[in-house]
Amino acid sequence: MPRKYSIEVIPTPPRHTPIGKFEIERGADCINCGRCAIVCIYEVHKRQEEDLRSMAEPVEYRCKGCFSCIQECPRATLTIREGTDYSRLGDSYWTPEIINTNWYQAETGKIPVSGAGYRGPFSGEGFDSMWTDMSEIVRPTRDGIHGREYISTVVEIGRKLPAIKFDSHGEIVSHIPPTLNVPLPIIFDTLPFGAAKHFDPTFLKFDENVYGAMAKAASDLGTFMIVNAGDGFKSEGHRGQSSHIIPHISDLTSHSFDADWIKACKMVELEYEEDVLSVVNEVKTLNPGSIISVRVPFGDNVEGIVEELTYAGIEVIHLYVDRNGKAVNQTRKKRLLIKDMTQKVHGHLVDLKIRDDVTLIVSGGIAMAEHVAKAIICGADLTAIDLPLLFALECRYCKDCQEDLACPVELKDVNPEWGAQRIINLIGAWRNQLIEILGAMGLREVRRLRGEVGRAIFLEDIEKDTFDKVFARRVSYDAND
Amino acid sequence: MPTIKKVPSRFPNEICEIEVQRDISKCINCGTCAKLCPFGVHERKTGYNRVSKPLSYLCIGTSCEDKSFYCVNHCPRGALSLGVSSEYRTIGDYRWTRDLIIGTWKQAETGIPLKGQRYEIGDSGGGFDSISFNFQDNEGRGENGNEDLAHTSGAISTEIDLNKREGKKISIKVPFYGGGMSFGSISLSVMLAKAKAARAWGTFTCTGEGGYPEALKEYDDNVITQVATGLFGVMEDTIQRVKIVEFKYAQGAKPGLGGHLLGDKVTVEVARMREAIEGSSLFSPFPFHSVYSVEDHKKHLDWIKELNPDAIVSVKVSTPTDVDMVAVGSYYAGANIIHLDGSYGGTGAAPDIAKKNIAMPIEYAIPKVHEFLKQEGIRDTMTIIASGGIRTAHDALKAIALGADGVVIGTVELVALGCVRCGNCESGRGCPRGIASTDPELSKAIDLEWGAQRLINLYAAWRSEIVEVLKRFGMKSIKELVGRYDCLIENHEITQD
Repeated sequence: MPRKYSIEVIPTPPRHTPIGKFEIERGADCINCGRCAIVCIYEVHKRQEEDLRSMAEPVEYRCKGCFSCIQECPRATLTIREGTDYSRLGDSYWTPEIINTNWYQAETGKIPVSGAGYRGPFSGEGFDSMWTDMSEIVRPTRDGIHGREYISTVVEIGRKLPAIKFDSHGEIVSHIPPTLNVPLPIIFDTLPFGAAKHFDPTFLKFDENVYGAMAKAASDLGTFMIVNAGDGFKSEGHRGQSSHIIPHISDLTSHSFDADWIKACKMVELEYEEDVLSVVNEVKTLNPGSIISVRVPFGDNVEGIVEELTYAGIEVIHLYVDRNGKAVNQTRKKRLLIKDMTQKVHGHLVDLKIRDDVTLIVSGGIAMAEHVAKAIICGADLTAIDLPLLFALECRYCKDCQEDLACPVELKDVNPEWGAQRIINLIGAWRNQLIEILGAMGLREVRRLRGEVGRAIFLEDIEKDTFDKVFARRVSYDAND
Repeated sequence: MPTIKKVPSRFPNEICEIEVQRDISKCINCGTCAKLCPFGVHERKTGYNRVSKPLSYLCIGTSCEDKSFYCVNHCPRGALSLGVSSEYRTIGDYRWTRDLIIGTWKQAETGIPLKGQRYEIGDSGGGFDSISFNFQDNEGRGENGNEDLAHTSGAISTEIDLNKREGKKISIKVPFYGGGMSFGSISLSVMLAKAKAARAWGTFTCTGEGGYPEALKEYDDNVITQVATGLFGVMEDTIQRVKIVEFKYAQGAKPGLGGHLLGDKVTVEVARMREAIEGSSLFSPFPFHSVYSVEDHKKHLDWIKELNPDAIVSVKVSTPTDVDMVAVGSYYAGANIIHLDGSYGGTGAAPDIAKKNIAMPIEYAIPKVHEFLKQEGIRDTMTIIASGGIRTAHDALKAIALGADGVVIGTVELVALGCVRCGNCESGRGCPRGIASTDPELSKAIDLEWGAQRLINLYAAWRSEIVEVLKRFGMKSIKELVGRYDCLIENHEITQD
């Protein structure tokens, strides 16, 4: 049995005062009786240190919304409302809850646990229209994250042979393609914003600190990080971490990349275009042992492109959608979602019997640990994440930086050590959640989760199976697909 | 039938929708409002010069606008106004909307069901929230609805049988019973309040997995004791004492994960009850380490029946894709009740990822199991009980029309006792409102008598509502509603694009 992989999480508090979910206002007719301070068990209410006769301003970010102080106040002078800054966080896809829960995980390294039942909508788009399965009784003993039995989250990147051939002397004659072992099905993707667009000292600092934190976290975790090869991230300091870096070459024509760097890397990613195969050959000539990934946008004819690339010998295909999990490159009116497209591509490769010839990395809109598990169920081998890494560093997704405004949490000044630990905490918590999902299904390794659509419950299927009959529907639930 | 008594909230400021605002700079403390308001919103206490702060939760809102006692219009200085309270806007979520929470409080206070869709369904956009009753009587629910009912409702039965197989017959007077909540996850007085309400209504409550407190003994005939995977507090004596034993395989909120009582909540009493050490976290593993097959499962059931031949056995499972097979397996192992706990059910603590994602919502599992048991020809000998997101009497009725015999409730009981669903049951000292906590100080917050009466009232309100719906369907018994899909319609018809 391999050595048990574990992620060491260390509580790492944020640098800035957190944005609270609630705002509490103390009215003018407060009589400073201190009842609120007695009933609050979260230390929101305290007396002023310099004058104990008066109550201090409530420490709002600690409030957990139990309403006790509101209801107990003898003057009914406290009011509570949803925090203005909190409700403005992110957007309709990257909701305040998602951002907040990623902050929590980056700080504590713990799985978000709470009391009371689920509070959200019944179902939704994309990943929100599927549930994972569980196994009730018949299966071997396991205890999830507290367990005695090891659940492996290792995935391999690269081409996998269906069988190995031996000659009469028992020597291997098959050419065994290179593979990379990643201890968890998550790698770091290029960042959607904040990175060096021009050689401005601010951006260089961002590169050094933010990418520095990411590179250290990737190296400590044993995973990989994709970096734009044309960008400023070439400083000597990170050359040392080359073994955990995947340079992404987007500009194939000018061949602007640094050949020495390519030689040092285990994997290289190329942006898809018509003559990508010739550049693949060029890179393979430079570094024959490297694994090549081609980055293809999910969109029109993606199955065709993947098929063609796989037959051409490409070992890894990185399929991406936009930040909100929707197709990038699609002419259809209703853009397809990552969940459906991953299933289509995976299914197509299975039909052609070439699924194991290629590794599928899926990215775009992977916002929570559940998305990793669900993308894998839909057919991905692993996922690449971007924004959650920035959330780990306290990013508020205000997008001010995209308009050249100052960052409210000064990401560029992040201490790389601090940042790396926050990312490690986040990934540690995500991995444990993945293990919870696997454990509930009775699976002992994440590789077996890939494409296991039978171990998931899809809204359209279950609606069809049950409610079509209950409501004697004339039109089946999935008829409009 | 148990007596309904009005039991107000234990807080001086009850959270409510309408806020009556008095502009202090305009008010001259003339006391007109106090004289006018028949509901006691305004009051000038004897000996006081000033009128007290308005008790907003007693206000009925603008519905008295045209009456002579409408304070807003009659204030000589125009100092009064009505608005929506900030608390009302803040409380609640998709599943438990502000109106469901406040509505449950009101029913627990008065014992009278509330009218209107906002007190019947939530805002989750699916499942029960997208289903309505297919009433044919077009009668609408007029103001006299309840009075008419008084004449005929006596003849309508809400009783259900829990054992349809051979052996001792057990029935409950209302088609619901209390879900398992362990001592440790909730306080003793909450546990006893639940038991007392169950006895009053001729139904059951369940110990959960945390032992059988001595104080519960007097309610033995209305207690279900749970045997769960950690076997905490399970003794021969506790099995022999009760009429129903519940085998808990999994819980809807955390299917396949087992339980975890954090060390903070393992107080001296909790530790004694569970035969564990104070302050150490207690894991309830998953699954039963001695059950790998239906045969093993039968062995466990035989063990219970050997210890207590009169007991009937309920098997509590969550809702995987093969839940129908699990139900049949339980039947062949000898279970009397299959208790399906849907994935959106309550919990004292569970990973958020599990609550949202693992296993299917109860709305799908009920017809799936109901149909399969029918096909197998065993539907009439197995009792299906559903839980996991039953928030209102309407949810209970919908679950029954989908194919269940009855339901188990949990969260709604805690809401009746003042839970705001803040979700912090598990952290630190536990529930800040003293419901789901064994903290010596916090758990004093809930008085046994107060709590029991709130629950008795809630049950009464639910029963009235159930009777009214049955009457509108022209049914004499709740048993007639089981699996009557034709009584349900979808709020939004599925159409082709």
